[in-house]
Amino acid sequence: MSLSESRLRSILCWVVIVLMGGPVTAAVLLGVLHGDSPCILCWAERTSMVLIALVGLFVIRYGPRPRYLGMAILLGAWGTFMAIRHSALHLARDVGQGFSAAIFGVHTYVWAWVIHVTVLAVIGVLLLFMRRMAPEEGVRELGPVGRFAGGLFVVVVTANALQAFVSTGPPPFIGQADPVRLSLNPRHWVRSFGELQPPRISLRGAWTIPAPEPAAADPDPTHGPLVGLTSLAIERWERIDVPLEGALSGLARDSATGRFLAVTERYGAYLLDGSLGRIVHGVVLDRGFSVDLTPLAAAAFIGGDTLAVLSTNKTYALLVPDPGADESLEWRHFRSTDGQVRELGLGRFQTVRAHQMYVLSLAYDPAARELITVSVPNPRHRQLVVSRFAREDMVLASEFEPTLAEGLTLAAPGRTLADYLVTGAVVSDGRLYAISGAYSTLLVIDLQARTVLAAYAVPGLEHPVGLAARGSELLVAQADGRVAVVGRP
Amino acid sequence: MEFLNFLLILWAAWLVLRRPERERLAFRLLVISCLLMALLFLVGTHGSLVPGVNL
Repeated sequence: MSLSESRLRSILCWVVIVLMGGPVTAAVLLGVLHGDSPCILCWAERTSMVLIALVGLFVIRYGPRPRYLGMAILLGAWGTFMAIRHSALHLARDVGQGFSAAIFGVHTYVWAWVIHVTVLAVIGVLLLFMRRMAPEEGVRELGPVGRFAGGLFVVVVTANALQAFVSTGPPPFIGQADPVRLSLNPRHWVRSFGELQPPRISLRGAWTIPAPEPAAADPDPTHGPLVGLTSLAIERWERIDVPLEGALSGLARDSATGRFLAVTERYGAYLLDGSLGRIVHGVVLDRGFSVDLTPLAAAAFIGGDTLAVLSTNKTYALLVPDPGADESLEWRHFRSTDGQVRELGLGRFQTVRAHQMYVLSLAYDPAARELITVSVPNPRHRQLVVSRFAREDMVLASEFEPTLAEGLTLAAPGRTLADYLVTGAVVSDGRLYAISGAYSTLLVIDLQARTVLAAYAVPGLEHPVGLAARGSELLVAQADGRVAVVGRP
Repeated sequence: MEFLNFLLILWAAWLVLRRPERERLAFRLLVISCLLMALLFLVGTHGSLVPGVNL
């Protein structure tokens, strides 16, 4: 089967009729009948559909020239990009939270996506059956269907122009991000340059988040955001005296058994004895497939024998020692293992206030049966957020940004708790202790009052990565495997 | 500017339908309209040019 030019032009007449009489007319009717107004992105997508129909008119009039084909493909590809970009604003919201009007239950920006992909598919099918591409110069006469397509095009574009005048105004005014309902009363018309005043042009916007770099943090407590801090002296140093796969990145201690859980940047998770001198169990997790792990950053004992390890992207793995573990079944979970550990599952913590922020800490509150993370502020999101997750379902239970208790003073305007970089945390006696790699400061947070009760400088630390409690002591683990022992304030 | 763009499109369509010998001008109007459409979209997405999701 092949497609002659005459047949192609007939088909394109109907393509123009369907495109202009269908979605583009429906968009105008949504405005006239329901007061729907397009946003500035909707306008671009609607214009793209109109331009595709205009290219169809060119082919109907002048035959299938390569530059028309090129323009149609460019418009289809660009329109698809626009629709994906636009839909991305709303696709992941909760049920029923789409933006503006829906047609057959599907919002207009998703229809734009469907239509532009369909246009590309139609172009592909037509090309598949084209007899030849050699263009014949000259003007073709329009048949009755071609004249109808042309007339419909003019009528629908005129209607769009009128709606654009009402909704966005004459040039140089432009469309709005959040338009108001369509009204024929000039008093309600919006004339805006709002979108011409961007905060800044960016490729990824709020998603431009650098990976945390605790090693680059300034360790000097005197440079921190809080002034007049009491110093906690390091009483002595201990050391993890066994070889680990990669640098230490987190440490937890089980008060029931006295054992430690250490994790490394290269996905190692090790259960150590109470002396830090023997590996009881050890695995190296497979970071890829299904739920991807970024470098491990924290660990916690979360009741029973269950071990939780957390990567910087808030993805966790739950492990349990099991002498009867089936090594062949666990092969998919671990790059290496001593054969006595099972993976219970992988999952991702979902946060709200700490969205688009990495974490470097994990603590477990046995009284509340909740896991706790503290966000790592970044240039896009300057917040220090404490997030709590229910142990039962690992879902967010609450979040807060701690306030400062009386007696704590910021060094200068503009300094905030977000200047800290919490790299380790532990819950003890109902309080959250958090060690900051930046400015070597220990924060004591009241989980009920959601307040930083106290802060202490811990001079002498270098790149702390984890925090554990042992009786009246706090153990600050460093990336080099040394553990500073300080008295718990 | 959206209003202006539709006027450009109407002008191009009028040339194609009623003055077909002005194909070159009509196609230039088409190109200008495409560029204006793309520019307006980029203005609308100033905060993040690519989708705000994991890529």
